[in-house]
Amino acid sequence: MGHFNHKTQLFMLLSAILLASCTTSVTVEGTVPTPLVVKIPATIGVHFSDEFKTFHYQEVLEDSGTWKVDLGEQNLTFFQNLFSSMFSAVEEVSELPFQEGEMQHLDGVLVPRIVKYGFLTPAISGLKFYSASIQYQILLYDHAGEVIGDWNILGYGKSEGGSFSADDALGDATMLAIRDGGARIAIEMSQQPQIIKWVQTIDSDLVEQELVEQEIVE
Amino acid sequence: MVLLLFLATGCVSSRVEQSREAVTGITASEAMVILGRASYNDHQTEESFTDCLSNILMKGATPIRLIPEQEFKDNLFPWFEPRTAPTSADELGRLFSQPGVQERINEANVRYLTWIDGDTVTVDKGGSMSCTISTFGGGCLGMSYWEQDASYEASIWDLDNLTTAGQISADANGTSYLAGLIVPIPILARPGNAACKGLAKQLRSFVIGG
Repeated sequence: MGHFNHKTQLFMLLSAILLASCTTSVTVEGTVPTPLVVKIPATIGVHFSDEFKTFHYQEVLEDSGTWKVDLGEQNLTFFQNLFSSMFSAVEEVSELPFQEGEMQHLDGVLVPRIVKYGFLTPAISGLKFYSASIQYQILLYDHAGEVIGDWNILGYGKSEGGSFSADDALGDATMLAIRDGGARIAIEMSQQPQIIKWVQTIDSDLVEQELVEQEIVE
Repeated sequence: MVLLLFLATGCVSSRVEQSREAVTGITASEAMVILGRASYNDHQTEESFTDCLSNILMKGATPIRLIPEQEFKDNLFPWFEPRTAPTSADELGRLFSQPGVQERINEANVRYLTWIDGDTVTVDKGGSMSCTISTFGGGCLGMSYWEQDASYEASIWDLDNLTTAGQISADANGTSYLAGLIVPIPILARPGNAACKGLAKQLRSFVIGG
C-alpha cells in the first residue's frame, strides 16, 4: 500500500510539474498615462467592484495549455488615474446600493465593469500577433441613485511575439486593449448625450442653489 | 565560400524613393518622433523596424534628437493611440485645438512627426530539408528557401506648419536559404534590415534639409 502511495504521489507530482509547465501566466504591465482632456465639471463617485479590482481570466487552449491573465491591478490603477483626470473631483464609494447620504455631495456615481475579455494567439488567428479585447460597461448613476447612462466600450490591442515570449506579447496586447478602451472613454464620454444632459442638470442645480443662497442673504 | 558570400550579400535588392512637398530643416534643439502605424487589420509596423530606424538616426555624424515613441504617446494620451491618432496632416489643426496638446508638443520641441507604415511579409517559400539523428550520428540534407518582401513608407509631418513635408518609401526583397550539408547552413537575407538602413539614410537627409 505504501509502495502504491509513493507511485501515486510520484505520478501526481509529475502531473503537477507537467501541468505547471503548460501554464502561461500573463502579467499585465505598462505605463499609466494621464489623459489630456478637458475635465467634466462634476464631482463624481466611482465604485470599483471586487470583481473589477481583481479581474483575472483563465482559458485552456488545446495546442498551448492553460493561459492565466491577471488584469486586476494594472486595470484598476489605469482607471483610477483615468477618472481622476476626467472629472473635477473624484472619490471612491462603497458597494451598491449606495448608502443613504453617500450620494448627497456627489453629482453622480460611475460603476465600471469588465463584461468580457478574450484573446487570440497566432496559432488561432494565423497572424503574427497576439491580440486581446476587453468589453467594458460603464454605468452612470445620478445622485438619486437612478441609472442615467449605460455605455459599452470595446478595447482592442495586439502585439507581436514569438513562441518564447508569448506571455509578454499577450501582456502587451492586453495593456494596449486597456489603453484603447481608456482612450475611447476619455474622448467620447463627454460627448455622450446623457452626459451632456447630466452636466446641464448639474449646472442648472448650481444656478438654482446660488439663487436660493442669494435670497437667504437678502 | 565565394558562392556563400555571393548568396549572403547578393540576395537583397532594395529601392528608396522620395517625394518632397516642402522645404525642411531641423536645429539641434528640435526633435523628431517616429511612430509606427498600428491599424486593426492583419498588418502592423513592427516595433523592431521603428527601433532600427531610431537607433540609426540617433547616431552618426549628424544625429537627430528623437523623442521615444512610448514617452510621446503617454504625454499626449489619448490622442496618439491606434484608433485615435490623426490619419493625415489635415487633422493636425483639429488635434492642436485640443487643450494642452499644442503646449505638450512645444514643451518637447517636436518639429517633425514621422509615421512609418508597412511591414515585412513572406511571399514565397519552398524546398525541403530533412534531418536525422541516430546512434551513429546525424545530419541534414536538402535545401529550403523563403522569399521576403519588406515595404515601408515614411510620412513626415511638419508640426510647425501642420502640413505634410513629404514621403519616403523603401522596398526590399530578399530570399533566404537553409542548406542542409550534414550541418544546416543558413544564408539569411534581411530585407527588413536593408529597408531600415535605406529609409533611415534618406530620412536623415530629408529632415536635415533641402
